[in-house]
Amino acid sequence: MRKRELLQERSDGLVRVIVEFCRFARANGLGVGVKETIDSLEAARTVRITDREAFKFALRAVLCSSKQEWDLFDHIFEVFWSGAEHELQAASHTGNKWTVNSGQWTADRSEFFFNCPLTTDHCPLFGEDGGKAVSGASVYERLKKTDFSRVPHSDLASLEQLSLRLLRQMSVRLSRKLKIMQSRGPVDLRRTIRRSIGRGGDPLDLSYKGKKTQPVKLVTLLDVSGSMELYSVFLLKFVYALQKHFTRVDSFMFSTRLVNITDALRTQLLPAALMALSQTEAGWSGGTKIGESLRDFNRLYGGKLLSRDTLSVIFSDGWDTGEPQVLAGELSAIKRRVRKLIWLNPLLGLDNYQPMTRGMSAALPYIDVFAAAHNLESLLELERHLKPSLFR
Amino acid sequence: MESRVTAKAEEIQDVSAVIRGFERLGYVMDRALATAVYLLIELGKPLLIEGHAGVGKTEVAKVLASLLDTELIRLQCYEGLDVNSAVYEWNYQKQLLAIKIREGTDGTVEEKEKYIFGPDFLLQRPLLQSIRAEEASPVLLVDEIDRADEAFEAFLLELLSEFQISLPEMGTIKAKHIPYVVLTSNRSRELSDALKRRCLYHWIDYPSLEKELKIVRTKLPRLEEELSTQVVRFVQAVRQRRLAKPPGVAETLDCALALRSLGKDRLEAEAIEATLGCILKSAEDIAKIKAEGIDKILSQVV
Repeated sequence: MRKRELLQERSDGLVRVIVEFCRFARANGLGVGVKETIDSLEAARTVRITDREAFKFALRAVLCSSKQEWDLFDHIFEVFWSGAEHELQAASHTGNKWTVNSGQWTADRSEFFFNCPLTTDHCPLFGEDGGKAVSGASVYERLKKTDFSRVPHSDLASLEQLSLRLLRQMSVRLSRKLKIMQSRGPVDLRRTIRRSIGRGGDPLDLSYKGKKTQPVKLVTLLDVSGSMELYSVFLLKFVYALQKHFTRVDSFMFSTRLVNITDALRTQLLPAALMALSQTEAGWSGGTKIGESLRDFNRLYGGKLLSRDTLSVIFSDGWDTGEPQVLAGELSAIKRRVRKLIWLNPLLGLDNYQPMTRGMSAALPYIDVFAAAHNLESLLELERHLKPSLFR
Repeated sequence: MESRVTAKAEEIQDVSAVIRGFERLGYVMDRALATAVYLLIELGKPLLIEGHAGVGKTEVAKVLASLLDTELIRLQCYEGLDVNSAVYEWNYQKQLLAIKIREGTDGTVEEKEKYIFGPDFLLQRPLLQSIRAEEASPVLLVDEIDRADEAFEAFLLELLSEFQISLPEMGTIKAKHIPYVVLTSNRSRELSDALKRRCLYHWIDYPSLEKELKIVRTKLPRLEEELSTQVVRFVQAVRQRRLAKPPGVAETLDCALALRSLGKDRLEAEAIEATLGCILKSAEDIAKIKAEGIDKILSQVV
């Protein structure tokens, strides 16, 4: 009797501590819910828990669901089961494994954003107490209109939250537009045969499938040189939000050289991409060579990526230290192949800006849409340029 | 009646048995992956394996099927994969002929319809096959799920929760033996949260030097030891470079085989140059490595 009670106590104790571990894991960035907790209890029951390694592997298989969580898990496990939980709790609010030694960056506001992933799912600031929402429509309006380079530090978190929400809404609207535009497509064989049974096998009544949505591809080229530094973070989030609506999104960064960040953007490995860029170049402070970067793009990727169903977007302020003829030539090459060429320039947000720089003036004739991209409002206005009806 | 264990599965008592079973079949296993596979068998939860190309994700499912002495059903995913290609389709030509043949014969429209949409005319695709296995739980491999789209993922999720499919013409079909499901992904896109949460997760990284050596020696036992060591070292060094398409284990094995068929028993610069296409699969990568100098890399490893 006593033994059974002891065993019961011990197993209750074990259940308790596993549940505690799951809560700890959730507090430190893993997406662990009730279901996962129950699963981990089941898993613990099947492996020999005295074998610490087996226990760890079992919990890891159940509680993780992505490479990022996988990388976090080991540390969380070690800390919990060696008793030093308080250490990890303190560390969790200043960042997680995604923190990158961004030695090259000087602006601390950039660091803030680079350590925060592209969605709010695991951003440490938006945990239980981080989401102190800024209320009031007037505040939203102000935030939408504030130039990215002049956002006060205290507003960064709110702007982040607002932009994610509004971009998501834009996302939903765009996808609805694509679905609505369906007209009669090819014959649906299955339904036609169904209908022909009553007619003795002759397909007198035809059924049609809906028309397939048109594949639209997006190619974005983002200037990340010194002058564009503070805008590039937000622009990247914008591109990330658009990924769902286009059959394919290919993204590139350039400053003095071109870097392909398509894969990094897809898997949310933003800091890694920027680290890669800063490592392959002599730093951000060199002048921008827009024309040459575009030439590299055309040479290496132009054939593969540019076609009649592609929309090309260039984010840059047009300060080119190279020759304007080169820029003009490369732009005309791009323009010839794509459906639409959009140039987004944050400087257009300034009053009285006239594109007088040689680079920008040379580029203008080839651009279909020349628009501002200096604040949240201007980015949201681009929605109408992305509407698929213009791709007929 | 649902049943989940085959004769062999009952014999697998613990993780070590999984390791032994896999190694006997030529797959070099580590404890972490063995634990995940063990949980797949015991808990019946699907296993999602992510990793770069060529590290052995698909192999896990194949070896598991051999180990459990059961059928392997493979669904290769691609963009645009839909219910017709994944679950079932009707054999339209046969149906049209049957309709014509039966024209004028007795029978109501309902009877004819029932015949036309009956099992004789049903083309079963992998997902339906997997739940209609008669004798034992098969292994269902959903390969490269990241290439399919979200709509398909939602459909798959439903299947993985209930293990039953509703066909409008034939009613609901429940699995007699619940399949062991292995999903693989190259991480080219983020999978939906719901699907990820439904599955156990495992990440297969590029192997360490010792592990890769063990793999090459297991798969190519008759290869000279010096050659295999040098090839593995060389590929490991190449992987350190920032490449668009780093070579996986499959490429290491290809390279070793290629060199042997060229009659080499050790690694030389010109041999590598000739077989570079086994290791590197993109023009930019090849240019990059050549620019650095094959001799230079070779001198570091040999």
